[in-house]
Parts: sequence; C-alpha cells; structure tokens
Amino acid sequence: MTLRTMMPRTGLEWVEKLAGAGMWIAIGASSYLVSTRPEWKWAAAGCIMTLAVVSAVAGIPRRLAGRRLVLRKGSGLSGRGRDDGDGSAGQAVRRWRTLAVVSRLMPASAGRRWLGEAESLLAEVTPARRGAAVRSYLLSAPRLAVMMWARQLLRRLRPGPRRPG
Amino acid sequence: MALRLTVQVQLVVQALLRDPAREMYGLELSEETGLQPGTAYPILLRLEHEGWVASRWEDIDPRAEKRPARRYYRLTAGGAAEASAALAGARRPKSTALRRLAEGGGTA
Repeated sequence: MTLRTMMPRTGLEWVEKLAGAGMWIAIGASSYLVSTRPEWKWAAAGCIMTLAVVSAVAGIPRRLAGRRLVLRKGSGLSGRGRDDGDGSAGQAVRRWRTLAVVSRLMPASAGRRWLGEAESLLAEVTPARRGAAVRSYLLSAPRLAVMMWARQLLRRLRPGPRRPG
Repeated sequence: MALRLTVQVQLVVQALLRDPAREMYGLELSEETGLQPGTAYPILLRLEHEGWVASRWEDIDPRAEKRPARRYYRLTAGGAAEASAALAGARRPKSTALRRLAEGGGTA
C-alpha cells in the first residue's frame, strides 16, 4: 500500500507523543508548584527536561525518515510533473511539508489517510486549481482534527469491536 | 449521531447516487459537486462513518502510473437506500445556493 511509504510510522511514535503531552502537563504543574511550593521547582524542572529529551530522542527516527521521503526523487509534491506551471519545485515541497505538518494534528492513521488523499488529489488537479485546493485542505484540517480525535476517543471509551481506519 | 444533510452533504450524496455502482475518487467528486476537495473530504468521512459510503485505495503501482493511488468512494447497498430516502425527505437546496457553492467552491 502506497500510504505506508508516505509518512513512516515508528515504534517510538507513541513514546514521542506521550513524552510531548507529559511535558506540557509538567509545565502546567510546575507553574502551579512554583507559586505554591517553591521547594519543588527543581523536581518539576528536572521532570520537564527529562520528558523533553525523551520526546526529542524518540522523534529522531521519524524525522530522519520524513526527511528522506521529502528528498527522495518522485516523492510527495516534489515529484516530477507536480510543479509545472504552478511555481517552483521548492514551493511544491513547501506545500507538501505544510500538509504533512498539519496532518500531525490528527490521530496517526487519520492523518496518514488525509495526507495520502490530499497528495493524490493535488497530483492530478490542474495547476490553476492547486492553490485553492491546498487552502481548502488546510482550512478544513483543524475541524477535521477535532472530529477525528473525538471519534478516536469515543472508540476507545466505547466497548465492543473497533472499526478500522 | 444522525447525519445532518447540509447543502454540501446533499451535493456529495447526489453525485454518488447518480450511479450508485460507480466508484468515484476525490477529484472527480469535487469537480462534479463544485465543492473544494477540503470540503468534500470531511463529508465523505462522515458518510463512511455512517456506513453510507465505502472506500478503498486504488491498487496501482504509482511509479508505473506516474501518479499516486486514488481513494475511491462508492455508496454501499444500504447507504444508497438510506441516502435516497434521506434526500427525498430533505429540503431541496435552492438553485441560488447551489450556484453560489459552485462559484465559491463550497469552502467550509
């Protein structure tokens, strides 16, 4: 399946996400602790630092894989024929990167599918309509992300068989 | 949660209902409905979630075809019946609303 090649998933993705989320919670907790119990501030700072390091290290394979994909010939919007009449190849790569970054707002599988669909459509749409199509994808992404996270949450909370994708 | 039949949803459902057996991909649907792809995609997801629509990735070799695989959508048997019934009961979108959507690309 072509989708697997677009945004690689590593086993460390969850570690990265959990550490990232934990870091924000620790930042919130430490700002509270600093005002109420100043003696705990070093523990909070240590916790934040540890989580930041874990998140950064766990994200290295994903970032390296993403970079290889962007640079690979024929991958994403940098591929041959994607930039004709629509600005430079660099512009196309920037667009694809923006979409790739925005897709990370969504749960992993939903983000991969959204990005795959966007990439597929943008490869075939006429250059004149490409900019508007990218904008429409970007504009609808936040609402879609909320919808997908809510659905994911409900699926986890609700017992019974899970639907794929 | 019941699906809300907005004008955009009706446009997508109507396009799929024209030939329920036919599979359509995102760009095709976007051109047929006049909606921007970013607007049509969440609608298709909702329709799929409701079980009205089934989708699949096209099984091709992207290098040989020189394009990425498309995601194809088609109405399910139950979905076609439900969609027809829902459309029959829904308020028909006014022609001015449709024209405005087609001109503006239906951006959400």
